[in-house]
Amino acid sequence: MESQIELEYDDVKGHSNTKMVRFVGDLDATNVETVLEKICNLFDDGFINIVADFKKLRYVNSTGLGILLHFSKSAREKSGSFKIANVNENVYEIIEIIGATTLLEIYDDIDEAVAALK
Amino acid sequence: MPGLKIQKQPVELRPDLTMWKIDGPLDPESIGYIHREFDSVLETKQNFLIAEMSGVTHVSSAAIGQLMGCRQLLVERGGDLVITGVSLDIKSKLSAMGATKIFKFYNEMRTAINAYHWEVERKSEKVWLSFPPQLQFVPPVRQMVSRIARQKGYTQRDSFRIETIVDEVCNNAVEHGSEKVLKNIELNINIDREKIELEVINASDPDKIENLKALSTAMPKAPDAKMGQKRGRGLALIKMLSNSLDINFSGEGTSVHVTKLREE
Repeated sequence: MESQIELEYDDVKGHSNTKMVRFVGDLDATNVETVLEKICNLFDDGFINIVADFKKLRYVNSTGLGILLHFSKSAREKSGSFKIANVNENVYEIIEIIGATTLLEIYDDIDEAVAALK
Repeated sequence: MPGLKIQKQPVELRPDLTMWKIDGPLDPESIGYIHREFDSVLETKQNFLIAEMSGVTHVSSAAIGQLMGCRQLLVERGGDLVITGVSLDIKSKLSAMGATKIFKFYNEMRTAINAYHWEVERKSEKVWLSFPPQLQFVPPVRQMVSRIARQKGYTQRDSFRIETIVDEVCNNAVEHGSEKVLKNIELNINIDREKIELEVINASDPDKIENLKALSTAMPKAPDAKMGQKRGRGLALIKMLSNSLDINFSGEGTSVHVTKLREE
C-alpha cells in the first residue's frame, strides 16, 4: 500500500500547452514512481508547462523533492517550466533545507504562477 | 444544605501523590476549610495534588481563587494541583472564571497520574515498533510517531520534522537493508519533555557494509539540491532536522541513532 496522493488536472485558460496539476496528499518514496509517470506523460503529450498546486500537498520527503527537481529540469529542457504554488510552510521548510528554493519556481498562489507563464 | 467535604484519599501504588475527593459546594464559606486541609498537605511535603471534583455541586470565584493560591504554592515547590472528574456544567462555570487557563483538567485519575510522570517526574516514555523491511510500511509508522510527538505537546512544526526524520531513516533502512536476511526493522522511540530519541536497527549485508560506511562518512553537512540524481539527500536532510545523528555498523546490522530536541 502506497501513501495516498492524488493528482487532479485542469486546463489553464489561454495556455494550451499548460496543465494545472493539484497534488493532494503525501508525496514520498512509496508513490514517486506513480507521480513521475503521470507528469512525464503530460510532458510527452506536449504540455511543456506544468503549474503545480500544492495547497493540499501535506507532506514531501527528500525522494519526493528529488522528482520535483527532475520535473523542473525536464520542463526547462523542453523550453517550458514547472511552477509551484500554494506551498504550505512545512513543505516549504523541506524545500528550503534541501536548498531548492532557487532551483524551483515557487509562487504564492496559482494566479501569480499563471501570470509568470511565457 | 450540607457543606463542602474534602476527603484525603491514597493513590494506589503512588504514596508520593495526594488525592482530594471534593464533594459539595465550593462556596465562599469553604475557604477556611480548604486552607486548613491544604496546610496538612504541605506538611506531608507532597507537592502533587489531584482534586477529584465529580461531586462538586457549585463553584464560587472566591473558593476557586483559594484553590489557585494552593496551586501556586505547589508549583513553586515543583509540583501542581490538577483537577479531574468535573461535570460539563461546572467546567463551563470554571471556564467563565478563567480557571481553565490556570488548572490542568483531566477526565480521570489515570490520565492525571500519567501527566504527573510526564510533567513533574519528567519521565520519558518508550515505544518499540517492528515492521517488515518494505517501503509500504513506512508511511503509517512515520505518521504514528508524529502523532505521538504532537500528543506529547511538541509543536506542529516539530512533529512534522520528526515525521520527516522517521521517514528518511526508515526509507534508508529499507533501501540499504539486507536483501538476503529479511529481518524486521526495529524502531525504538524514547520521548520526554525535552527531546525525542529514535533508534532504527536493520539487517545489512556484510558485503554492503563498506559501501554504507563510505556513504555515511562522505555525508554532506547540507543536502545538495543541484545533484542530478532523484535520490541521495535523505541522510543530509536528517542531519539538518535533528540535533545529533550517529550511524553504527556492527556485525550484520546497521543502527542509526537520532536525537531531536523539542522546540518551545
